[in-house]
Amino acid sequence: MRPRIVVYYLLFFLFLTACAPTPSPQDATPAASQPLSAEETSPSSEGTDEEIAGKLVLYSGRSEPLIQPVIDAFKARYPEVEILLKAGSNSEIANILLEEQKNPQADIFITTELFTVQSLSDQGVFQPYLPAGAEKLPSDFLGANNLWTGLTRRARVIMYNTNLVSPEEAPKSILDLTNPQWKGQVAAAGSTNGSLQAQIATMRQLLGEAATEQWLNGLIANEITFFGGHTDVRKAVGASEFKLGLVNHYYYYLQQAEGSPVGIVFPDQGEGQIGLITNASAAAIVKGAANLTAAQAFMDFLVSPDGQKLFAELNYEYPLLPGVQLREGLQPLKDFRLAEVDISRVAQDFNATFDLMENVGLP
Amino acid sequence: MQLTKSSRLTLPRRSLTRTNPRLIFAAGTVAAFVAIPLIYIFVRAAEADLAAWERLLQARLWLLMGNTLTLVLAVTAGALLTGTGMAWLTERTDLPGRKVFRWMLALPLAIPPYIGAIVHLTLLRPRGGLIPLALEALFGRPVPLPAPVGFWGATFVLTLFTFPYVYLLAGAAFRSLHANLEEASRTLGRTPWQTFWGVTLPAMQPGLMAGTLLVALDILAEYGTVALLRYETFSSAIFIQLSGRYDRSAASILSGVLVCIAVFFLWLELRFRGRARFTQMESSWRPAPLTLLGYWRLPALLTVLLVVSASLLVPLAALLTWSIQALQDSQTLTGAFRTGSQGFGNYVWNSLWTATLAAAIAVLLSLPIAIYSVRHAGRSSLIISRLCQVGYAIPGVVIALSLVMLINRGLPFLYATSFVIVIAYVLRHMPQAVRSSESAFHQLSPAIEDAARTLGRTPLQTFFQVTLRLILPGLLAGGALVFLTSLKELPATLLLRPAGFDTLAVRAWIWATDGYYLQAAPAALLLVLAAILPLSFLLRREKVFR
Amino acid sequence: MTTLDVQHLTRQFISTHYPAVNDISLQLEDGEILALVGPSGCGKTTTLRLIAGLEHPDSGLICLNGKTLASDVEFIPPERRGIGLVFQDHALFPHLTVYENIAFGLYRQKPSAVRGTVSEMLRLVDMEMLANRYPYELSGGERQRVALARALAPRPLLLLLDEPFSSLDADLRVEVREQVRGILKSMHTSVIFVTHDQEEALYMGDRLAVFQHGRMEQIGTPEQIFHSPATRFVAEFIGASDFLPGLPVSGGFQTEVGLLSQTVPVNGSKSVEVALRADDVDFELSDSGNAIIVERFFRGPANLYRLRLDSGQVLHAIKDHTVIIPVGERARVYITARHPLMVFQ
Repeated sequence: MRPRIVVYYLLFFLFLTACAPTPSPQDATPAASQPLSAEETSPSSEGTDEEIAGKLVLYSGRSEPLIQPVIDAFKARYPEVEILLKAGSNSEIANILLEEQKNPQADIFITTELFTVQSLSDQGVFQPYLPAGAEKLPSDFLGANNLWTGLTRRARVIMYNTNLVSPEEAPKSILDLTNPQWKGQVAAAGSTNGSLQAQIATMRQLLGEAATEQWLNGLIANEITFFGGHTDVRKAVGASEFKLGLVNHYYYYLQQAEGSPVGIVFPDQGEGQIGLITNASAAAIVKGAANLTAAQAFMDFLVSPDGQKLFAELNYEYPLLPGVQLREGLQPLKDFRLAEVDISRVAQDFNATFDLMENVGLP
Repeated sequence: MQLTKSSRLTLPRRSLTRTNPRLIFAAGTVAAFVAIPLIYIFVRAAEADLAAWERLLQARLWLLMGNTLTLVLAVTAGALLTGTGMAWLTERTDLPGRKVFRWMLALPLAIPPYIGAIVHLTLLRPRGGLIPLALEALFGRPVPLPAPVGFWGATFVLTLFTFPYVYLLAGAAFRSLHANLEEASRTLGRTPWQTFWGVTLPAMQPGLMAGTLLVALDILAEYGTVALLRYETFSSAIFIQLSGRYDRSAASILSGVLVCIAVFFLWLELRFRGRARFTQMESSWRPAPLTLLGYWRLPALLTVLLVVSASLLVPLAALLTWSIQALQDSQTLTGAFRTGSQGFGNYVWNSLWTATLAAAIAVLLSLPIAIYSVRHAGRSSLIISRLCQVGYAIPGVVIALSLVMLINRGLPFLYATSFVIVIAYVLRHMPQAVRSSESAFHQLSPAIEDAARTLGRTPLQTFFQVTLRLILPGLLAGGALVFLTSLKELPATLLLRPAGFDTLAVRAWIWATDGYYLQAAPAALLLVLAAILPLSFLLRREKVFR
Repeated sequence: MTTLDVQHLTRQFISTHYPAVNDISLQLEDGEILALVGPSGCGKTTTLRLIAGLEHPDSGLICLNGKTLASDVEFIPPERRGIGLVFQDHALFPHLTVYENIAFGLYRQKPSAVRGTVSEMLRLVDMEMLANRYPYELSGGERQRVALARALAPRPLLLLLDEPFSSLDADLRVEVREQVRGILKSMHTSVIFVTHDQEEALYMGDRLAVFQHGRMEQIGTPEQIFHSPATRFVAEFIGASDFLPGLPVSGGFQTEVGLLSQTVPVNGSKSVEVALRADDVDFELSDSGNAIIVERFFRGPANLYRLRLDSGQVLHAIKDHTVIIPVGERARVYITARHPLMVFQ
């Protein structure tokens, strides 16, 4: 390589480095969602608190595209706060939190499902805080001793490819997925996925160990394809590779937004059926948080109408705060019969759930 | 037994008693450093209670182990075949355009396999892939096509993105091969084909084995890509323990199993390699003549084109298309080009400096190991050298967790700094540096160093004025390899990065994992661009002192 | 004045059963060329490396000009010994030109002095035209001369040469070794050089030291070594002797080819072996002879015949190049030596 080329090469990367755009708090929403924003969630409702400043470290099991706009909106209100985000998979972040308990780095942990926060708060990772306005949330979605706070609800649904399956044909219950009719036609996330884990834990409580085991064995016998994550599931169903996918409800909407021929079933609504299984995302303040005031302000923001609305807009999720408008086209949860479970009991049985998954050999 | 025998034959004049204690100390320190993840695995595994062990030893585990081993076998064989074949075609034949192909065949190393897998899935997924759809539109009915999923899909995709390890080392071996060797074989009545199998390949064996080993260890620890391609391996069992249960002890026990397999592989390699030879490029060195392909030129060209397309051109074209689409949409663009607290340039810079620092440290640390194992070949030096390579087989997540634990206990002030990422890169990619440094030292005759000593240079002066000058190309090659693999490293980076710290690989992954391929493409494309300069070190090292 | 004094030098490698160098003592005079000769693996190269400081002796003493280089308590590293070494494969620095290679050992001198010395060396080895070449651009003979010039440039107190001519082909070897001997003698350098070629040793060495199995069998002038080999091995290695069994009788030894009249004090009446070189033996065709002509080797100025006595014992005899006797004939072999022959028990 001639020296000149090396120089060009270095200059190119130097240029890239130098041209770092100054972060603007505006739209960094994923392509799938409409522009929304910081403007809408204008800093009018409350005055800027002078004392809230400094670095705020956020660990998030929610993927970055789904949390960044919330951060941007928060920053618009509290410009003095510098938010540092570390997004990753739920379980990996949870492991990190457990390992760094003696030297905590994070101020706030945001997760995609309740059982992670429940399990971590049992292991003493969090400190109690009841965000302002959180008393309006359903009490099921507040941790014991206020160790965590629920944010949004998500439903376990069946999505189907409308080119391959008519709405009438589509299964009306998750128990139908074991029907030989769908042999080799169903995609789902594998056992490392928190949402699936939570679903199985919930079903154990609703149906009992034996029935759940039977269901899982049925899935395996029905040659269900298990993926690493739900994004792969929705893409596969959207691309007509599979007829059905077992996903969280928003994955259907995300895939639909890409223009794929997909439909949705909110399952188990019939008489005697278990009802729609839901889960919730949650947030908590880490014990030993360095910037407690900012962390509390952030928690307050998450459950405030503005914050809740962002979650609804961004990802078609159901805000836990009553009265927040849902994203257009999303059927409200109150239209459905929801499965009734005791979340804290489910969390306690979590180990048994894993034993069950391992026993049946869920991939 | 094998080891002591080989050491005697290799370097008869090197004494075993007089190894400088400082060298042993330095090599031992490096080995201890590299063993950090092993210590973690040991500590964690020891914490596990009996029930955990019982729970782990279920039948499914053996099934997964079988899956992993067959995948390792298949990918290694594929990479060996592809890498050696491509190296032979580009180095030893009159293949048209071979100079350009040399670059193109090495570049897939810069593409993270999961990005490659996404591209191949998008194109070829059964029924919904772009190619099956196009064919269906063309012929009016679905055309059966192989899909890049399952065992064969994983083998296909992983081979495409790991064969450059073998290719680079095989290419170097082909280039430095003595013409005399093959000519001697021909005069002894062997056909060119027999000569290739009987003389050329055995002469290249150390290089090939090293490349093969890198591939095998890489696949052993692989998780994300195989999961994407719907093939379940042993590392997924580790992830299951880490997810939900957060059972790091169980994960450590399972990682320990991987380590055992890695040790077995390293032992196998030693057995196969047998007695290391002294391969100095002698003064009588003469490049072997090119084989004229004749009628085979076209088929050969097509084969190379096929490999280059699947491993480089198609992924690049996809990334380019997505990047252009991203550029056309301002909203997508901002999404791709910034993160919450930092801009695009910032994570380009992060990628470059962490990878560069990791490469420099890894090469530096590999020096005492290489000097010890090459110049003082013996059982203990070989063990230390191999110990430094075991870590490659440990999944990045486990390495990351080990650093989280150990740094938090030992050096808490260091934790949550970007330097931890550099340490992880060094730990993970040490084998590449050790291998390159060792082969560089192997190529240097000890007599050259002795000559400098008799001409009045102290050992240190000798090292800097003579040794370093001569092994520098080899060291740069090792550094380039570490740089490349660090640049695309993901699992450890994701866990260890301080909040707000991003790299190109992380950016590409964050978008790709949620299915936003347009936003992921620019960062992935830049990864490939950033790989070009270090690759030039890899491709040019042998030319320096010819 | 003694330049080099080596006393009871011993070196044992872990991986071998006997010491590579076993209790070697030798002295080297100022300006003398000493040839260490012996079969490969006899310890001569290790001896050289011990003297150069590239190996640590297990025991023994090395002194140069009265200064101790290595003893049980002292070890001077090679760079401070002032000893030059020319390596078997020359070990030229591939990244440096001929000029830079020669200047490598002169780094402590002023640039002008370096230039002067290097030019002088280049002239000495007749390489002035090739100063800017790299080692890979040189022929074997040229490389060998550069290696010599590089080692000589710092004016070493002692120069060591390790099989310096082994990589050259036969014609070149004779030519180069004459040049080298001339250069070394003109510079009055003390030299130890190692070779496995007895002819080379006889030509180059003012004195020879014959090595076997790490031991020095004999040291002396070429004539002493050739004419009075101290051991059977020396006789065999230098001058390719055959050994003919004989019984001591009064007035000499009775052998298969007749009585050898030579009185050498021997122990009792045990059988001995008489060392016979080709020029000590002659033969004539005779059907009633005691041997058969097995083979003839044409050696240019002479013909060498291999003869097998009826007992199976093989002897060699030399005849003029014009005398060609067919192989397979019977012959009568006799001893013609007019000088005392070596007898070994």
